[in-house]
Amino acid sequence: MPRATPQPRPAGDPNVAVLLTWFLPGAGHAYLGRMGFAALAFGVVEGLYALGVWFSGGMFLEILPEEMRGRFAGVLTPEVGNLGALLYHVGQYGYGTGEPRPWPPHMDLGMILTAASGVLNAMLMSRAHLDARLPSRGPSSGGRGSGDPALLALATWLVPGLGHLLQGRRLRGVVVFGLLVGLFVLGCLLAQGSNLSRERHFYYWAGQFLLGLPAMVAEAVHGHPRLERDAPYGDAGIVLACVSGLLNVLVMLEVYSFGERRLSGEDAAPARAERAAPEAGR
Amino acid sequence: MKDLGLHLLLFGLAGTVVVVIGTLFSEPDDRAALRALPRRLLVFFAGCAVVAGVMLLLEHTVASVH
Repeated sequence: MPRATPQPRPAGDPNVAVLLTWFLPGAGHAYLGRMGFAALAFGVVEGLYALGVWFSGGMFLEILPEEMRGRFAGVLTPEVGNLGALLYHVGQYGYGTGEPRPWPPHMDLGMILTAASGVLNAMLMSRAHLDARLPSRGPSSGGRGSGDPALLALATWLVPGLGHLLQGRRLRGVVVFGLLVGLFVLGCLLAQGSNLSRERHFYYWAGQFLLGLPAMVAEAVHGHPRLERDAPYGDAGIVLACVSGLLNVLVMLEVYSFGERRLSGEDAAPARAERAAPEAGR
Repeated sequence: MKDLGLHLLLFGLAGTVVVVIGTLFSEPDDRAALRALPRRLLVFFAGCAVVAGVMLLLEHTVASVH
């Protein structure tokens, strides 16, 4: 009688790993017993946030107009991905002293860094979730390299379509890049660059920030323009730029789930079978 | 109805991007995605046209301020 092989036990509870990471970057991996990775993740994510606070003087919530300030104003910001840091930030700096004061010289760079820290921690959360589901010392628990779904999703955030390219899905990558960056450029043109300012459009900026480097580079090069004429389609442009960033989230999810299927051995077997079927019928 | 054509063009562009990205999300295989795209575009824009028609009808009837 054949003996049943013991099922490998998952490394931990994925939900616990995600929640811990959300509040404290690296804590999820510490819970999974991967102390080295946890320390590295904590250093990178919190270091990015701390650097951002240093550049912006902790004033990113102060750019909100009075009527938009509230207890949950920070919920719809990319920084919410690093919840522990955001809560500390709100408690420590909040909306400032109430006295008007000039922005620090590198305010925009600082805000980009704190926002990037939130996005990075969201990727770390997805990585913690995956690592918790895998066997603690199984063959696929380490050394995934460029096949790591969280890393591929991060690449997709930085450059839409890059995750697909790294997965060998070139056509998809090119289509995604062309559509999303094209929509973003159209939005910028219509809005005459007015969308490239967090101070002007706090929440729309959060949406377009999810487009990654194209949005960051555009802001660095053409951001915060002095508007000298009316932009008749400015509102439409702001919406289009924001939509392009939000659609990139969908793309990141697709890249992540494809990478996860490939990692777990499911790969794209149904698709291959579908392609093989007509050939077999010939 | 100022610049109606331009409004429709912008909506068409944004709608097409939304539908294509949605199709890529739901279809992992490129060929299947390409096959599903025309129908998805048709359903999306036909649905939008129906909603726009209902809104115009309401605007000129029960929601009219005249």
